[in-house]
Amino acid sequence: MILVSVILFVFAAVTLWWTMHAWRTPETLAATRFAAPDGEQHLTFSLLVPARHEQAVLERTVRRLLESTHEGFEIIIIVGHDDPETAAVARRVASTSPGRILVVTDHNEVKNKPRALNTALPYARGDVVGVFDAEDEVHPELLEHVDHAFRATGADVVQGGVQLINFHSSWYSLHNCLEYFFWFRSRLHLHADKGFIPLGGNTVFVRTDVLREANGWDGTCLAEDCDLGVRLSSRGAKVVVAYDSTIVTREETPHSLGAMLKQRTRWHQGFLQVLRKGEWRRLPTFGQRMLARYTLTGPFLQAFAGLAIPLGIAVALVADLPVGVALITFLPVLPMAANLMFQVIGLRDFGIQYGLRIRAQDYTRLVLGLFPFGVVLSAAALRAIWREYTGRHNWELTAHVGAHLSKAAA
Amino acid sequence: MSTLELPARINASPRPAVRTRREVPDLLIAGVLTALVLVLLAWNIDGFPTASDDEGTYLAQAWAVQEGRGLAHYTYWYDHPPLGWIQLAALAWLPAWLAPGLITVAAGRLVMLPVQAATLLLVYLVGRRSGLPKWGAALALLTLGLSPLFLTMGRQIYLDSFAVAWMLGAVALALSTRRHLWHYAAAGAATAIAILSKETILLVLPAVLLALWQNSARTSTRPWALGSYVTGLVLVGGFYPLYAVLRGELFPGADHVSLIGAWQFQLMSRDGSGSVFDASSGTNALVHSWLYYDRILLIGGLLAIVPALFARRLRPIGVAAAILTAVALRPGGYMPAMYVVQVLPFFALALAGVITTAVTRLEPRRDRRRAVAVAVVAVAALSFVVPRWYAGAERALTAADNAPYEQAAAYLSTRIPDPAGTTVVVDDVLWLDCVRAGYQPDRVIWFYKLDLDSEVAARLPGGWRDVDYLVSSPALRQDPSGLPTVGALLAHSTVVAEFGSSDGRIEIRKVDKENTP
Repeated sequence: MILVSVILFVFAAVTLWWTMHAWRTPETLAATRFAAPDGEQHLTFSLLVPARHEQAVLERTVRRLLESTHEGFEIIIIVGHDDPETAAVARRVASTSPGRILVVTDHNEVKNKPRALNTALPYARGDVVGVFDAEDEVHPELLEHVDHAFRATGADVVQGGVQLINFHSSWYSLHNCLEYFFWFRSRLHLHADKGFIPLGGNTVFVRTDVLREANGWDGTCLAEDCDLGVRLSSRGAKVVVAYDSTIVTREETPHSLGAMLKQRTRWHQGFLQVLRKGEWRRLPTFGQRMLARYTLTGPFLQAFAGLAIPLGIAVALVADLPVGVALITFLPVLPMAANLMFQVIGLRDFGIQYGLRIRAQDYTRLVLGLFPFGVVLSAAALRAIWREYTGRHNWELTAHVGAHLSKAAA
Repeated sequence: MSTLELPARINASPRPAVRTRREVPDLLIAGVLTALVLVLLAWNIDGFPTASDDEGTYLAQAWAVQEGRGLAHYTYWYDHPPLGWIQLAALAWLPAWLAPGLITVAAGRLVMLPVQAATLLLVYLVGRRSGLPKWGAALALLTLGLSPLFLTMGRQIYLDSFAVAWMLGAVALALSTRRHLWHYAAAGAATAIAILSKETILLVLPAVLLALWQNSARTSTRPWALGSYVTGLVLVGGFYPLYAVLRGELFPGADHVSLIGAWQFQLMSRDGSGSVFDASSGTNALVHSWLYYDRILLIGGLLAIVPALFARRLRPIGVAAAILTAVALRPGGYMPAMYVVQVLPFFALALAGVITTAVTRLEPRRDRRRAVAVAVVAVAALSFVVPRWYAGAERALTAADNAPYEQAAAYLSTRIPDPAGTTVVVDDVLWLDCVRAGYQPDRVIWFYKLDLDSEVAARLPGGWRDVDYLVSSPALRQDPSGLPTVGALLAHSTVVAEFGSSDGRIEIRKVDKENTP
């Protein structure tokens, strides 16, 4: 009991420490921002947009990309050969801007995002390949910032910020939004600093030659983005993360709890696959390998902690333990409660940065929903383990209805 | 690397390219001065001042913690949070190692040396982080360390010394030069430990918050800084009520002690010690006893409060000193005897801060006249302070006030036949000495508990007749009317040995069980 409590405490404390990375000092916070672009444009971009049964949102996304202030970019939309509706939308948009937009058809029998991206890679002509999802809302000035970031830092990879915005949609979307906020605002910067980074699925930019050398994406991996980050990290690629709330790519949360459970299962299972592939063992330093091991197993530790900590408290309160032992079982509650405190502050900060009004009821939902959300994450983690060890590796796609877009329009 | 463009560090002091003259490092200044004060504190620590009952109580409670008997040698009733004597217990190896021969209270005082060393170093650090130059911070350290009041009360085993050391740590962390989030969280935790060491230090909390607020001004991380502080404070502080909850002692009940019940007593039922302005009140007498030891720091600190409030960087210190003063001067209210221990470091910082600021503003280096004026004032001040403080230090280094206690302890351990079968009533100074001399802990009774603890009364079915010896000390004779059993014991006993003279004497009295009705 004491041992479990101490382990849980250490785990929760380390996670909290890393989550708060960006806010450690005013200087570190300032360093996480994109530097203001110098107005010059030197690089050319190939923006890959894989779309699958996403005819409802694709056109808007591409039109928004076309508004980019950067001059040198092309858009490559990848559609499946069995998905005529999306293909029709893609072709119609492409015809409005010939030369800028290319539509590539993916003929792979088993369809998934990494295979779609690999299909498009040979067509990419730009210096840098960027990936966006079909439902992303991309800021017109993003490419200029990224161009400058590549040149100013000599990076091989630039990861921009992604943010879920529709925190009002459901009880779990609030937590989902905050999760993204803490991940992109803070935690990823730590990974970039340490030289081991699981990249995000979109708004990620890689130098085309580096990407080709790494043989593109892994078509069998459920978390191709994480896998790419791990492989590039172990090859010593320089990764830069920059976050600026004004030019962050906006996304929506999964539209139902079931969809979120599936999405989470896929990510967690992907993390497991990356762990088993063992590419991370090639990382140069011991610290990086430990960070990799810890990060990739993190969701499962989290699932375990999310269940064990409340259980421990219940035991401490109900069972007749010696007072000293009972006090120690409360140890893991410290970082958990601290986390809750920072979530509240994070929600306020999130509201300020995105110009959203956060009401008292939102804070209430945050506090009340923390434990149920932990249960959902734990369930997803257990489901991922079960799927991985029963050999079910198929891709459960998250559907998109455009909730963040209607909100933005309103 | 995620750094796109590192902004210049906002608060970093510009480093001169060529150093014209080697500067003495802070650590050396603070370390040497602290060592000097420690020598003054340690010298004759067993002889002066007279051992007080409170010191014995805290030591006995620390002994109970060490022996695994719970949080006190009697039923713990949430009178004070226990962290102070838990720290005392954690440091108990020190006297056993340094001076095994001394009586318990005198030896126990050695534990205070590391605590006071921390306080002195932190006074220097807080001074530096409040914008004082090195000489100003050193002045603050010496103003505290050489004050006769500090040389007296700083030696004694008071929980307030632990509390004020942690609170100074909290202020220093709140003024963190790197403004690191975890420094703020640590400041919160230090505040909580301070409050759990001695609850009255809570009064200084607004000063720590102000320091935090000022230090995080115009930074992007202020809400996070405040959040960290509150988190550290609440989470560490929460363990105390949690302890009460786990023992089922949070709310008052018929047959058990409780945390909230103790608070109700402390805040509402406890008799006040009167107003400081009432010449006949206990508070007035207490303040006079402090002034007897040192007027300079107390009055000088008092005068420095207002100017300190007007200098931005001294304001947190000014606020702390102002609140502590206002609470001491409030009418009614209860004032503990060791209250001043918490006041001294803040007064020293305020006084030194105001003097330093004044001298810096005068710019004595600019012309000869200013330099002469500053020098004249400094010499005059020193000629006023030095003789008084010298007398105080001399008393602290030479007086032998605890001889009666030492003799009584020796008598109790050698001259009483069959200690293990003897029931003896003592004050708390001698309690632990008796237990160590072979008396049964259950049969060494702190006089105060005879009439106030039903559990103790139950151990003596025959009342005062079950007691064999009574040790009468000034603390015991102070208020016999409130304690009937103690009064009966005094009436039905004869003196078999007497140490010391007049009011300070200690008598070993044998209880006469036969020749009374």
